[in-house]
Amino acid sequence: MASRKKVLLKVIILGDSSVGKTSLMNQYVNRKFSNQYKATIGADFLTKEVTVDDRSVTMQIWDTAGQERFQSLGVAFYRGADCCVLVFDVTAPNTFKSLDSWRDEFLVQASPREPENFPFVLLGNKVDLEPRSISSKRAQQWCQSKNNIPYFETSAKEAINVEQAFLAIAKNALAQQNSAVDLYNEFPDQIKLTNTQKPSNGGSSCC
Amino acid sequence: MPKSQYILKHEQLLRDLKTIIDGLLSRQVANIWSIYGGLSRLHAAVEKIFKHGYKSDGNVNGSYYYFVQGLEWLQPKTSNNYFSIDCEYQPNIPVHLKGDKASIWLYRNLENLTLSTKLGWLLSDRNHLNGCYYSHAFLRSEKYAEATLICLKALERKQPSLMSEINPRLFLLQPNAEDIHKMHRRCSSLPDRYLNKIIYENKTKRSKILERHSEGDLSNELLNPRKEVVGKFKPWSSTPNLYVEKLEVIKEIIQSKTEPSTPIYSKKIFFSNTKNQNKRCTFFQNQENHDVQSTQHSIRFAKKKIKTIVVDNVDIIEHTPPLSNSYSSGTTVVENLDSSSSTPQNFLSDSITLPRSMVDYSFRALPGEKDYKKTPKKSFIEDGGKTILPMSTGYFPKPTKGQSLISFLTSSKISRTNAELDRENAHFSVSEAIISALEQIRYNQDLQLCDERMDDSDPEIMDLKQRIRVRRRQKIEEKQKRLWNSTVFNNGKTDATTSTTSDTYSECSSSDNIDDIEIDEASNLIENKGISISMASLYSEDDIKRMRGVPDGASDVFSAESVAISLISRFKAKQLPKASELEWLVSEKDAPQALLPLPNSWPVNPDDFEGDSVPLRGTQDWAPPRPQIIFTLHPSFTRKQLMIKQNYRCAGCSMRVSPQYASKFRYCEYLGRYFCTGCHSNQLSYIPARILYKWDFTRYAVSTFSYRLLEKMYTDPLFRIFDLNKNIGKIAKDVEFCRRYRLGLFYIKDFVLACRNTSSICETVKPYFKKDKEDIEIYSLQDLVKIKTGEMKKNLKFVVDLCIDHIMNCQICTGRGHICGICKNDDIIFPWQMNLVSRCDKCGTCYHKSCWKVGMSPCKKCTRLSRRRESDMSQSLEGCL
Repeated sequence: MASRKKVLLKVIILGDSSVGKTSLMNQYVNRKFSNQYKATIGADFLTKEVTVDDRSVTMQIWDTAGQERFQSLGVAFYRGADCCVLVFDVTAPNTFKSLDSWRDEFLVQASPREPENFPFVLLGNKVDLEPRSISSKRAQQWCQSKNNIPYFETSAKEAINVEQAFLAIAKNALAQQNSAVDLYNEFPDQIKLTNTQKPSNGGSSCC
Repeated sequence: MPKSQYILKHEQLLRDLKTIIDGLLSRQVANIWSIYGGLSRLHAAVEKIFKHGYKSDGNVNGSYYYFVQGLEWLQPKTSNNYFSIDCEYQPNIPVHLKGDKASIWLYRNLENLTLSTKLGWLLSDRNHLNGCYYSHAFLRSEKYAEATLICLKALERKQPSLMSEINPRLFLLQPNAEDIHKMHRRCSSLPDRYLNKIIYENKTKRSKILERHSEGDLSNELLNPRKEVVGKFKPWSSTPNLYVEKLEVIKEIIQSKTEPSTPIYSKKIFFSNTKNQNKRCTFFQNQENHDVQSTQHSIRFAKKKIKTIVVDNVDIIEHTPPLSNSYSSGTTVVENLDSSSSTPQNFLSDSITLPRSMVDYSFRALPGEKDYKKTPKKSFIEDGGKTILPMSTGYFPKPTKGQSLISFLTSSKISRTNAELDRENAHFSVSEAIISALEQIRYNQDLQLCDERMDDSDPEIMDLKQRIRVRRRQKIEEKQKRLWNSTVFNNGKTDATTSTTSDTYSECSSSDNIDDIEIDEASNLIENKGISISMASLYSEDDIKRMRGVPDGASDVFSAESVAISLISRFKAKQLPKASELEWLVSEKDAPQALLPLPNSWPVNPDDFEGDSVPLRGTQDWAPPRPQIIFTLHPSFTRKQLMIKQNYRCAGCSMRVSPQYASKFRYCEYLGRYFCTGCHSNQLSYIPARILYKWDFTRYAVSTFSYRLLEKMYTDPLFRIFDLNKNIGKIAKDVEFCRRYRLGLFYIKDFVLACRNTSSICETVKPYFKKDKEDIEIYSLQDLVKIKTGEMKKNLKFVVDLCIDHIMNCQICTGRGHICGICKNDDIIFPWQMNLVSRCDKCGTCYHKSCWKVGMSPCKKCTRLSRRRESDMSQSLEGCL
């Protein structure tokens, strides 16, 4: 029964600005890469149909803005995520350091049922670039300390490890969803629930 | 012969003439005149006319010679020189004409296109005409003679249109002569002057004759009919341009006088046996005398012409041969010189030329000329209202010491005076200075000449001579003044006075022993005047082009400084006095205040301030209005109080008003000052202070300056209304509503701009978004007016509703909403839900109002962030250690 049901997996990509979040997503979904840097504004998502363990699933990948440009924007989309992808730049140590705060903040805002077991995946991006400042050993150490997070070294530019990484993400997300209560299964329902409340709220309370 | 037959003959003659002339005029072939016999055919036709009805009486010397010879005494000034030449000079005259003087004369005049003028003169003397022709003669018929003149004139000027002036009934076969008489005559009315002139001319001539021959040789029988003729005198040549042409002839004469080779008195005119021989005899004896007399007369006459026709004057001066040549040719030249330069009469005419040629140019917009008024409009916030100039800033620059006149006039300081009134006033100051500069040049030249003459003599004698010279000059000036006055008063009224004045004049010009220096000076004068004063030569094309090339604001050719520069550019820089040596027409009191300017953006060091880099404003008791934003209401003063405060001066242009007329001044509600009617035209405008404090949207009368200022700042966000008046939200409910909506829209902006699905509404709502949070608090006059009209409320509500509608239905936008960090409820909340939500200003996180309030406790996210920062700090410290 579960196999016939269309499954939506909600994946959030987090990380400092310019580590390659959008590029990874674009490489995975569209198989395209652009050298041009364009900061992501707000948030956006792409969807991709994949088959995981003979099950067809729809991945909804949320790309977020690394920079806080829009103060009024919130992170309500964290809610109901099935997997969180943390990305850092293997050539930029600062992006590795801030991984902790990204993880913490996600757990606070998304408030999953079992924060300890929530699936994260760590991607060390830009392995095509030299010199590396974060060794794979150091990254793996960090992953072990966080309850054995899977770690992939990728290059969005060269399309190294991207497929594998996202396959692992999908598997983890699916596993999480299967274990989780049905309430969080389908994101659109959730949105609708809030939507029905909002217009009345918005109309009366705004201004 | 019956009368009608004569008329038929007349018609025939005129028709022939007209056909020939029509043919000559209509055909554009170049050689028709000389090669294809146009001239000889015309000659034949005209000769027929001349011969028709002529009392031949066995005249040996050709058919109508006597008639033509009348020119000698009718217009002695021309005929003296040319009549005999016309008759005898015959290199390329057709062979069949040789020997017939009259015919040759006719041919020559036709060839030279001068016949119409001469025929006009001949016809003007009825007596002479009657003496030569029978009553049925073609030329004695006024209408036909006139038509002939028109034909000739049309040919001479190559104006076929003139031919239409001829009454068609004159040459279309029309046996009933009576009809012609009844007909309305087409009449081009002559200017009075012309008529007067001709009558005057005849009168003087006759009185001259009277003077000379009063002994009795000329009988009363002869004179009386003549006078009658004068009274009835009819100007034959009634074409409108005749007057000018006569002048041209006179001008020619003047020119010819300066040619030394012209034989003036050499020709004796020989009279053949005529009826009037006995009358003429005495006349002939005095011929030479008469000639001299009339020559002088004609010159005097010419002077008057110069005075009346101003435009020609320039030409006359220009045609005057160089002095070095004419100096040798004696008295005529001196006379000529006088007539063209140094007499007061001419000075008068010169001074007329000046403004005339100015007028011709000054109000014509020169193509390509930069119009400084048409610079693109900048809003107040962009330029601080600096482009709005008051009528006057009272600014006129002062030259620095030793600065040359040219460099001062071309300096940017002058072109900086852009206020309308200042630029106008600059004309006074600059012209005054330039006049004094020119005077000084002249004086220096005089002085130099004196020095040269005197340098070997005793200083005491020098001084004495100098004094004599001064005295003499004064004397001459006095005389000239008197002469000038008398000529002005008696200008051509009676010849008695004219001749006396001319006598005095010739006395003063001849008896005063004009020495070399004065002639030299006169020559200088001619040069100076000919060049510098006649503006016609000033504004040559080149000049205008050159002046237009002047950088920055000075491109205006008719600005005071440009005119001045073009005037003095004729002189060497060495001759010119320094700008600082001149007295400028700016009194100490009107000089700009000796105040430091208000600092613009950085402090001005008093040591740096030299007075030349920063323009000063206003005078001791007046300062021009500044482009300022006035937020507060003016205290109410009575008119009298305020006028005293303003020193009874207009706040816009500093014009003084006497207290009894102070009531005419107008109050500017914006600046709180009184203005003259020139600076205040009762334009109505909103007054910001009245809106801010009284929510009063009445439009009040303001000065022109204020109006333009307010107009410019109308759309500029300038008013932080809640800071200026805390209670404004209570005075006007709509203000509070708009404030909330503007804030809400500010939050909404982030959502709409960050979403990729908003393109449909972006165009509509984007204009309402403000860039900074600061901006939403600042209102423009336009905003306030829109709040008042309710337009703002309506628009804001529409835009906000449109945006919220999108946000609530957009997955991305809802995803970017907030979840209360305290209750962790699944509700998505938004910052603009101000009744429900409180927002941390630091991190922008939103909470339910019931969960968290601003200032209650530290925001949870802020706490997390600071804790993380601390741990980072300690980590890095550990790393260091």
